[in-house]
Amino acid sequence: MRLGFNFWLGAGLTALVIFAGVLAPWIAPFDPVLDADLMSSELPPDATFWFGTDAQGRDVYTRILFGAQISLTVGIVSQVINSIIGVTLGMTAGYWGGWWDDLVNGLTNVMLAIPSLIFALAVMAVLGPGLPSLLVALGLTNWSWTCRIARSSTLSLKSQGYVQAAQTLGYGDLRIMFTQILPNMMGPILVMATLGMGSAVLSEAALSFLGLGIQPPFPSWGSMLTDARQLIQLAPWVAIFPGLAIFLSVLGFNLLGDGLRDSLDPHMRTRSP
Amino acid sequence: MLKKLTLAAMLSLSVATGALAAGERSGGTLVFTAPYGSSFATLDVQASPNTQEEFITQAIHRGLYSWNSIENKPVLELADSEDLSEDGTVHTYHLRKNAVFHNGKPLTADDFIYSYKRIANPKNAFPGASFIAVIKGADEFIAGKADEISGLKKIDDNTLEITYTGPINPGFPLMQNTTVIYPSNVEDETSFAKNPIGLGAFVFKEHVPGSQVVVEKFDKYYEEGKPYLDRINIVLMAEDAARDVAFRNKEIDVSILGPTQYQAYQGEDVLKDHLLEVAEVYTRNIGFNPAFEPFKDKRVRQAINYAINAPLIIERLVKNKAYPASGWLPLSSPAFDKDKAAYAFDPEKAKALLTEAGYADGFEFEVTASPNESWGVPIVEAILPMLKKVGITVKPKPVESSALGDAVTSNTFQAFIWSNLSGPDPLNALRCFHSKTQQSACNYTSYASPEFDKLYEAAQQERDPAKQNDLLRQANNIVQDDAPVWFFNYNKAVMAYQPWIHGLVPNATELAVQPYDEIWIDETAPARQ
Amino acid sequence: MFRFTLRRILQIIPTVVVVALLIFVIFSVVPGTFAASLFADGKRAADPQMIARLNEEFGLNKPLMERFVAYVTDLAQFDLGTSFRTRQPVFDLINDRMWASLKLAIVAMVFALAVGVPLGFLAAMRPGSVLDTVTMIGAVSGLSMPQFWLGLLAMYLFALQLNWLPSFGYGNGSFQNLILPAVTLGVTPLALLARTTRAGVLDVLNADFIRTAHSKGMSEIKVVRWHVARNALVLIVTTVGLQFGSLIGQAVVIEKLFAWPGIGSLLVDSVAIRDIPVVQGTILVIVLWFLVINTAVDLIYAAIDPRIKQE
Repeated sequence: MRLGFNFWLGAGLTALVIFAGVLAPWIAPFDPVLDADLMSSELPPDATFWFGTDAQGRDVYTRILFGAQISLTVGIVSQVINSIIGVTLGMTAGYWGGWWDDLVNGLTNVMLAIPSLIFALAVMAVLGPGLPSLLVALGLTNWSWTCRIARSSTLSLKSQGYVQAAQTLGYGDLRIMFTQILPNMMGPILVMATLGMGSAVLSEAALSFLGLGIQPPFPSWGSMLTDARQLIQLAPWVAIFPGLAIFLSVLGFNLLGDGLRDSLDPHMRTRSP
Repeated sequence: MLKKLTLAAMLSLSVATGALAAGERSGGTLVFTAPYGSSFATLDVQASPNTQEEFITQAIHRGLYSWNSIENKPVLELADSEDLSEDGTVHTYHLRKNAVFHNGKPLTADDFIYSYKRIANPKNAFPGASFIAVIKGADEFIAGKADEISGLKKIDDNTLEITYTGPINPGFPLMQNTTVIYPSNVEDETSFAKNPIGLGAFVFKEHVPGSQVVVEKFDKYYEEGKPYLDRINIVLMAEDAARDVAFRNKEIDVSILGPTQYQAYQGEDVLKDHLLEVAEVYTRNIGFNPAFEPFKDKRVRQAINYAINAPLIIERLVKNKAYPASGWLPLSSPAFDKDKAAYAFDPEKAKALLTEAGYADGFEFEVTASPNESWGVPIVEAILPMLKKVGITVKPKPVESSALGDAVTSNTFQAFIWSNLSGPDPLNALRCFHSKTQQSACNYTSYASPEFDKLYEAAQQERDPAKQNDLLRQANNIVQDDAPVWFFNYNKAVMAYQPWIHGLVPNATELAVQPYDEIWIDETAPARQ
Repeated sequence: MFRFTLRRILQIIPTVVVVALLIFVIFSVVPGTFAASLFADGKRAADPQMIARLNEEFGLNKPLMERFVAYVTDLAQFDLGTSFRTRQPVFDLINDRMWASLKLAIVAMVFALAVGVPLGFLAAMRPGSVLDTVTMIGAVSGLSMPQFWLGLLAMYLFALQLNWLPSFGYGNGSFQNLILPAVTLGVTPLALLARTTRAGVLDVLNADFIRTAHSKGMSEIKVVRWHVARNALVLIVTTVGLQFGSLIGQAVVIEKLFAWPGIGSLLVDSVAIRDIPVVQGTILVIVLWFLVINTAVDLIYAAIDPRIKQE
């Protein structure tokens, strides 16, 4: 398995986001919420405030670091939910077939037909703004592709010798699915989840823009960017840094996902750009 | 001192715009932006309470009364004069004889009776019904118990007699955009939604849904020589940043400014001389629910008022696009008390009051807040560190704008932040603190004070305006001492206009609503299609 | 072919029915009502009588089952209901906005095709070259940017700083107004198209039959023309279909930012004021649009590659 430059760039950016998020409480120079002095609002970047201050006089650098926690939470939790739903439905549908397969297929078609942003918008409207609602909304939206992949992988794995051997040994269906099939399709699922983290972070930003983001005063990059759009001329740093943070982290997830896919798919291996 | 200065500045500004109104020039197209919402709900303005429909009203329609921004009061619009009965309840209106609808029908008393019945018709469930309720017999009609509104009487085509429920000033309810007059000879009422017909200076031309309404000069408008403009494009632009770019690009002629742009425009030579400012009649506040234990104690509510540095928030975050509030009634209210001081920023006093009230260790509360930049979550974020210093933990509870009203009127909040109408009529504004007003109507903080009630009820009976305002001023000060809310600010509305635009007025009820028939464009305007 | 076509078209129906039920359920539990939202700006005191009157008028006081039956009955007759806010048929409102949405989606797609496909093609012709690397990094960057951020930057640059284009709105429906929103919206499909075109062309170039063609001595240009184009086309059509189908839904943010009067902004505004019939109607139309386009793509696909039908 050869991993290209893009993969390592993606891994590097992702690692940076993880470090920022995990270490934020120790490396951030200020408190992201309480260290707000209106007298020092909208200051340009300097030695004290590396990325400047926002309209409330809070340190943008600090908020970007803590924002990484939110973005990571949004990305990881929503993708874990997506993967669990997608894998469970797809694997059982592929393994058992029959009416259950038809039902899951129908459900997948429905979910694919509703644009994910619109579905998330509807869920957020019902649950109200805030982090938990956002996790649910994004966790429920993007499982259909994972489900399709899990189903088709299961279908092809079902006919493999070791699965049939396990069946003749009298193993239960669930045991076969979780011990024989699941481990063999983790690769593509992981790729989907990594790419999905990127779109979850972007969806968070879009929902913030539409007024359905995360509960303030927590610093989410999406809401920082949304709040800053008025300031783009007066205090561009307030908008530039969260925009860059979103861009670089999503780029990281995407490159990582692409790299993983290329390395898992022998067909594509030689042609990674 | 600051307040007097700004008031003086306001007055001189209105004089200045008034003085400019010489050498009016006819012709041209005004591109007017409507900063609210992103689509017109309907062109049937009687059916809509939204602000964006007021722009259509202003161009196309007229009501019995209209708001005079210079005199700051409602004046007769569709009548030349009125006679008042002894007890002040019966008004006899002598209607304008030269007023003609856009479909050619001359205005008669029938049109008023038709329109008011349409607005009050229970089958329509129109928002203006509560305004028509000031007319005697309207309540029975709204309830479906009568076929006519007994207080409406046609004397002849040009004379209308209206009997009101009391000696009220009917100007406020009957100047609203939901109480304008439609022609009584239109068969298909549903056509008003697509093809509005009114008495205004402009005729409806075109509606591009979600984008703009175009109106054109009405040749038979009743005011001699008006309007000056040939055409107005009323363009919807809810997004501040987009409006800013379009204004700088000279694509639009006026723009309502948010705080950030207000600050930016003041700093730019080409823009700063063309800003129209007015103290609007809204009071921004955080309402406390007395059902929440700590807020039962007046000292706690006062402590919060002392603990927050409101002027600092106004200066730094709101960019001076507001006036600090020293009570409920705003600067432009006739009952505003200019001698009453606002709560000073005094954290020590706040702590002392909290200790007295038994909250030395502080407490925690939630503020239900919409995303609005001037009276929503950002303000709660700003008070959060200030209240933390006196031991109080604030949590913003963000809701969508549409859910805010629901949360407040269903009384399911600990505190809320909102901007509420506090004028221009002080009697109506203070109704919201009368203990007989339902919580879900507008007594959102369930305020009840016998002392206040006594003054307010006396003011209701008082017919001398000066004495009435005096009573209301005292009532207002009782509310301030009781602090059922945190008094934040009174809105300052700011409109930027291109240098070739003339005839704008500082309308304290809503700056964006401008008398289109007074506006004219000079020859420096760039050519537009 | 006829039976295949009919079967694919009939498959749309159950999906639409389930979507209709799903959105009814979701929006029957949404907090807030249209009547209460009328007072949200605080510009007038709340009027409980009026709220009650309006809720009564809209039938919101009726039991859920009764409302559900009414909704389904209306839908079965292709009636999307009446808007709370405008009191006009939802169908009319959507009809008024549909053209703006279509224009935006079509121009965005044309832009994406015109730029994305040639770029992907050129990149695949010279894998590993500078052009290839730059194109692919550019594509992944395009997919990583928050859309409204990109739109805002474009607005400031092209409208304000360079003064080349109008910044917002529909104008008189002129093409100039369309450019900025369409280009911003087109970035995602552009990036995806560049990637799939490249992958599709590379797949074919490495396939055995191309090698055979080469060994037969056909010139490179002919190889490209006869085999690569046709085979890569299948992938491109699929991507175009998926993207075009979902573009109207994706346009929500762009329409909001550029004040574009499409059905995306109609949806967001209607959600905000709880004009539920319009919300339900708009989502149904967006979903139906997606399904119709994808069915059309499947049919085209089957026409290009007849093996599909037998699947």
